[in-house]
Amino acid sequence: MLNMNKEIMLRNNIHISGKGSQAIVFAHGFGCDQNMWRFITPAFEKDHRIILFDHVGSGKSDQSAYDFEKYNSLEGYAEDLIKICEELNLENVIFVGHSVGSIIGAIASLERPDIFKKLIMIGPSPCYTNKNGYFGGFSKEDIDELIETLESNYLGWSNYITPVIIGNPDKPEFSEELKNSFCSMNPKIAKHFAKVTFLSDNRDDLSRVLTPSLIIQCHPDVIAPLKVGEFVHESKPKSWYKLLDTSGHCPHLTAPDQVITAMKNFLNTDL
Amino acid sequence: MNTQTQPESAEDLYQNAPFGYLSMRNDGLIVNINATLLKWLGYASDEIIMQKSFHELLTVGGKMYFETHMRPLLEMQSEVSEINIEFKTATLTRLPTLVNAKLTATGLDSKPVYRLSVLDITQRKQYELEMKIAREKAEQSVQRLKQINKELEQFAYTASHDLQAPLNNITGLMSLLENNTHDSAESEEQEYYSLIRSNTQSMKMMIKDLLDYSRIDSTETNFDKVSLNDVCESAKELIGDEINRNNASFQIADLPEVYGDRIKLVRLFLNIFSNAIKYRSEDDPLIKVDIDVKGNEVKIFVKDNGMGFKMDKAEQIFGFMKRLHGHSSIPGTGIGLSACKRIVEIHRGTIGVQSEPGKGSTFYFTLMQKEV
Repeated sequence: MLNMNKEIMLRNNIHISGKGSQAIVFAHGFGCDQNMWRFITPAFEKDHRIILFDHVGSGKSDQSAYDFEKYNSLEGYAEDLIKICEELNLENVIFVGHSVGSIIGAIASLERPDIFKKLIMIGPSPCYTNKNGYFGGFSKEDIDELIETLESNYLGWSNYITPVIIGNPDKPEFSEELKNSFCSMNPKIAKHFAKVTFLSDNRDDLSRVLTPSLIIQCHPDVIAPLKVGEFVHESKPKSWYKLLDTSGHCPHLTAPDQVITAMKNFLNTDL
Repeated sequence: MNTQTQPESAEDLYQNAPFGYLSMRNDGLIVNINATLLKWLGYASDEIIMQKSFHELLTVGGKMYFETHMRPLLEMQSEVSEINIEFKTATLTRLPTLVNAKLTATGLDSKPVYRLSVLDITQRKQYELEMKIAREKAEQSVQRLKQINKELEQFAYTASHDLQAPLNNITGLMSLLENNTHDSAESEEQEYYSLIRSNTQSMKMMIKDLLDYSRIDSTETNFDKVSLNDVCESAKELIGDEINRNNASFQIADLPEVYGDRIKLVRLFLNIFSNAIKYRSEDDPLIKVDIDVKGNEVKIFVKDNGMGFKMDKAEQIFGFMKRLHGHSSIPGTGIGLSACKRIVEIHRGTIGVQSEPGKGSTFYFTLMQKEV
């Protein structure tokens, strides 16, 4: 059991902090890792048990655990999230997810509603591509273009050297190059995760997620536009909606105070 | 005449530097942009400044990358470098660029401002694409060659293995026929039998060597710590008969352990020892094994007192099925030394030879002491 625990701790690079007993689990989105939560977590340290982790393939997770078949759908990530909660014996979890992380949380709570008490979804999108009257914001070609951009940033000349440097701690002269590294991923994994994220369609799942949820929306948000946030709110039972006075896709980085206030208001509300 | 140089105007440098500059608030609104970047993008300054957000100037892929990677990085570490992002110009063409960005002093309305430098990499991007395609092609070719090689190895192995059985039958039948022939030794028939026998013998040798050669690559390589003295002893044991028949003697120095495949290394030494005996001079063969260690590399010298050869043939002798002697004078297949070369290559070493007719030969090759 202990070994199993350790394996998962390493696999998902889990970090636990905070002085309280109420568990609050944070899941990052596509592109970065648990570092994204650095402006939010201090506000919850005093009376929460904070669990941070990296999705397999991102950040400092165990890259070798990336199974292309398992992570070919968001269910694979949701399975990991459930496993993390089980291994840490978490109950009545407050789950905070950003972007695709929030959808992963919704899928997990659909599978195991007993684990989750409340979901906080920042910039959620159940489907990024436009389909039969549904507006997701992107066409299939747009997603292909993102994959291309990813490729040139992960595989282009400027990044050809990065993997070499990471495996080369003896060369401090290259440490400057490491600046972008905590957002860099194994190129194959990054491409795969991007495809799975941006081509997934979990709209039907939303209506079945009964865990009370807060949807935090920004405007304009290029990745998850206003219409998408509204769609999530309309389709998902027991959902609350908060439109922040800020733009972009990462309000937890650009407007952390607004996010913290919205979260606290929601957590203090008896539902 | 006034020859004093005018100090360069900072404003002119900003506007007309051969580099794009842009400043944006952390919400993305562009607060300044230089003339160079405006020209590249095909906009007038009043269409951009305080009018457009940075992401509006990007292609969709660029926008998504900006929101999911670049912006979070900027927020977390205040700067990014060498982000490859594509701009969309006013005429909807694409401008591939490399962007560096850094947080500067807070702007007028107390919102943080990022300064971006934008380098046009249109040509470089073209090269990069060509390189990427070339690399993909090369990777595919390597895969294809690997597959073909594997098939060829399999073919060589199967063919030589399958040829062995009928040849053994022929040899057996030949013996029976010979036993039943009672003609005098000078008869034409006896001469034919003798020719057939020696031809069958050389074919047998050829098949055995081919089989051994094909095994070098077709069998798995198991690298481990191997004692070279043990390897020499094993090789000597395997050619014990030849050694005794030729009254050959050895002087083997204290040799270190190397990192290699034991079975293949035994074959390497065996082939070289066997050659030293086969191409002997009139003196009893004397084979000396010595080493020279340089860092991780061990250079092994195998010196004999054999017949030697002219150095202009040195390259040729490692060629596949290349020989300096006819089969009738000294039987052989020309496979042994090319097998040695292959084995040394598998161990990432090099092999060579120094020789002089009548003065013997020294074969040398390198091996590694530790895994690299």
